[in-house]
Order: sequence, then C-alpha cells, then structure tokens
Amino acid sequence: MSLKKQDDMDHNAWLKSQDLTAIETAFLTTLIWLDKRLRIVDYLELLETMYYRANLQMPKSHTEQYDLDNKFWYWYPLYSLGSLSIIAYLLAAVSGALLGFYYAPSTAGAAAQGDPTAAYDSMVMIMTDVQFGFMLRAIHRWAAQFMVAAVFLHMLRVYFTGAYKEPREVNWILGVVLIALTLLFGFSGYVLPWKQLSFWAAQIGVELALATPIVGEWAAQLLFGGFTLGQATLVRMYILHVFVLPFVVTALIAVHVGIVWVQGIAEPH
Amino acid sequence: MTDDTTPMTDGGTDDEARTDGGPPATVPPDDETPTWSERKERSQGLAQLTYQYFERSRREDEDLRTESTYVERDVLGFPTWPHETIRNLAITSFFLGIMLLVASILPGHFGDPANPGSTPAIILPDWYLYWSFGLLKLDPINPDLAVLGGNIIMSNELLGLIAHGAIFGVITLVPFLNKGNARRPVEEPGWAALGVAGVILAFTLAVLAIQNFFPIQLELLFSLTFMLPIAGGVITYAVLKTMREGYMYDLNRRYFMLRPPK
Repeated sequence: MSLKKQDDMDHNAWLKSQDLTAIETAFLTTLIWLDKRLRIVDYLELLETMYYRANLQMPKSHTEQYDLDNKFWYWYPLYSLGSLSIIAYLLAAVSGALLGFYYAPSTAGAAAQGDPTAAYDSMVMIMTDVQFGFMLRAIHRWAAQFMVAAVFLHMLRVYFTGAYKEPREVNWILGVVLIALTLLFGFSGYVLPWKQLSFWAAQIGVELALATPIVGEWAAQLLFGGFTLGQATLVRMYILHVFVLPFVVTALIAVHVGIVWVQGIAEPH
Repeated sequence: MTDDTTPMTDGGTDDEARTDGGPPATVPPDDETPTWSERKERSQGLAQLTYQYFERSRREDEDLRTESTYVERDVLGFPTWPHETIRNLAITSFFLGIMLLVASILPGHFGDPANPGSTPAIILPDWYLYWSFGLLKLDPINPDLAVLGGNIIMSNELLGLIAHGAIFGVITLVPFLNKGNARRPVEEPGWAALGVAGVILAFTLAVLAIQNFFPIQLELLFSLTFMLPIAGGVITYAVLKTMREGYMYDLNRRYFMLRPPK
C-alpha cells in the first residue's frame, strides 16, 4: 500500500476552509493532532457505541454461540484461571511493596549460630509490632500460594482443552517460562525470612546449582552469591525477589496477555 | 449485519450447515447504533465538529484499507473484551474475597531462625516445589544407569536436574508434537492419558518428597511413584476410548463441519 499523503484527506486544509471561531479552531487542531498520534477516534467510537446501545445485552456465552446445548457451563471457572493468577500476582505485589517498608535483608545480629538475625527479627517485628502487619504477611503469603496454584491449574486447563494448538504455540512456551519464573519467585520469597526451613531450602538450591556440569559454580555464584549461604545469598535472593523478577515477570505477563488479546481465547469445544 | 448471507467462519454461506451460532451477538443491528453522519446531524457546536472530523478520519481509514494488500482473515476465537473480561470480573471479586478470607483464617506458621550448625530432621520447600524435591530423590534408579561396574556415572543431584530438564522439555514440545484440530480430551485419548499421568506423577513425586509422612516401605513407595501414573494413564485412555464411541456422532456432526480437517 502506498504511504504517500492522500490529498483529499488534508485535514488542515479542510480546517482552513471552514469558517470557525478561535475556540473551535484550537479544539479541532488539538483533536486532529492527538488523533493522528493516538487514534483516539477508535476509543471514543467504542464509548459512543456503548452509550448508544441503550439495551446493552450480555454477550452470548460460548456454549450458546457454538451451540453446545449448555452442557459445559460448569467449565467456565477454568477459563478464568489465568486472570485469577494475575489478580493474585497484583495482590502479592501490593502487599509485598508494603512489607518491603519493614523487612531488612540482613543476616547481621546473630551472636551465635541459631540466634535470630536481622532479617528474622524484622519479620517478627512485622508480625507483632506493625499495625496490620500480621495480616499483611498472611495476605502476601496466601496470594503467592494462590498464584502458583492458579498458574498450575491454568496450564492443565490449556493442556486438556488443546488451547496450545496452532496459532498459540509461542504463548504456550511463554507460559512454561512464566511457570518456571513463578516457582523461582516463590523459592526466593521462601528464603527471605531466614528461618530454618528457608536456610535449608536454599542449601539444597546451592547443592543443585553446584551439581550442574560446566555452569554450576558460575550459577551458584550468580544466584546464591557463593558456595556457602550467608549475607550475600540473602541479598541476592532479596534483589531477585523485589527487583529482577517483578520486572521480568510483569513484562512477560503483559506479552502473554497481549498475545491472548490479539489471537482471542482459544475456541472451546 | 445479521442477515442470512453472512459468511460463516469457514467461509460457507449455507445456513442449514451453520453450527457456529452465527456472528457474535455483541455486534448490534445497524439501525440501533447511529452512524457518524447521524450523530453529526443530531449535534451541534464542538460535538458536531468532532463527528465531522471522525467521519473524515474513518473514510480515510477505509480508503487506506481498500488500497492495502493486507488480507484480513477470520480468527477462530472469541474476544477477550467484553466476553472474557465481564465474566472474569465477577469471578475475580469472588476470588479476591476468598484470598483475604483464607489469609485471615490461616495466617501461616513461622518457624525457628536459621541455624547453619544443625540440620533439621525435615527439610522441605513450599508445597508447589514438592514435585521438584521428589525428583531429587531418584537415587534408587541411579545405580541402574551405571555402565562401569556399579559406579554411578552422575551424582544424584545431576540426575534430578536432568529429570527436571526432561520434564520441562517435554512440556515445551507439546504443541509441536500434538497437532491437528482436535480440542476435547475424548478426541485424543492418548494425549489426555499423558496429561492425567503427568498430573498423577506430580502428586506421587510430592509424596516421595515427603516420604517421612508415609509409613510404607520406601521401595514400595518408589515403585508406586511411577506405577500409579501409568495406571492412571491407562485407565484414562480406556475410559475416553469408550466414551468416544458415544461422542463421535455429535462431534462429527457439529465440530468437523465447523472446522473441516485439512
């Protein structure tokens, strides 16, 4: 198609040919300027259409649309699991940002082995001293649990309804990456309170990293800050949990949902 | 818009063969939604100017679209907005409430501080990594993989890592191995059986990870870890094969007419 300007669509000339007041000229100039860049006509048309559709009806369900005799209405919740995991992710992000005001990623303060560290103490402080802190931590923890559960069930739904097939292969692979990152999210968050379970889960992580051929020691250094656990491990897990993963996972979720938006939900049968 | 000659998603226009329920119900008949010209006539002042411009803008789009060589194609799918979004909003509010409720009822356990000097009796990740932790306990099959006089050729951790890689690899490759139009599990009993076996394997591996809590012999538990998924897969396959006979008539009638096999 040609990219050269259409003469009969010279909006500025049309503007000049009109006999307009200053206000009208300013308004139209702004409108044209914005519309050329942002295509607001599309969005305004959407609003107008909704406004004029006085008897707005709920859309046909897919069982109606595909004449499935309303046999499958009970599958509907399974088709919102992806959205549920995003809601849980947002809830975890909000509560996590609030927790971040009080949490200190430090192993300092332990006089002897097994004494509470600064990280552990800050968790205790959140749970006992901070207003609403106990609930805040519970919300963060459960939002994470719900997100992982929803993501797993979402994958099963996509698998068993064959929704990964032809144009959607790329999104399936993106989903596998997102599941792996979600698990890493959960793991790094599990380490942060620096409890006994956190420490020994991280210990298994280091041993696993070291068992990898060729890149093992490099991976252990990168993820855990060394071959034994300590301050470096905690800070790396913290940065991973509150800085690296949030950006990466949010961006990938946006792409994942964007592709769904473009391709449409897989037609259920 | 909703007249009888609207082509169906597969391009046909034979109304008796229509199985897709017709065009989406959200598109209103033309007489309900006023056109830009009608809105322009009804309004005055800045609103009228806006509509005048929008009319031009739309015409410009249409001209460009007519000139372009881009071919619009039917996408088999139903729209995210508003279909999915409206339905999901209701379920989402419910879901948020459930999360807050559960968080207030079960705030969760907070254990002892980390002690590098004493290994606890039970080391466990969160529940969603139990399957992964179970994969690290595959050491009973590791000696069988040895080639040189009973020496294991890789550490148990490496075996676990390879198992992880294999599982993620298979899951990633699924769309490239399973092609075709079939969507329902009954249409592909083999793939449904594989999926059920995978789900059961995730659970049995989790049980293997928390083996201390199951007072049965470790050897038996280990065998069950791999036999139960196979049994589940076989049962699923048998059940779906049987169900398929019953479904085949309906499937042929409405589904393959909508989407003829290539």
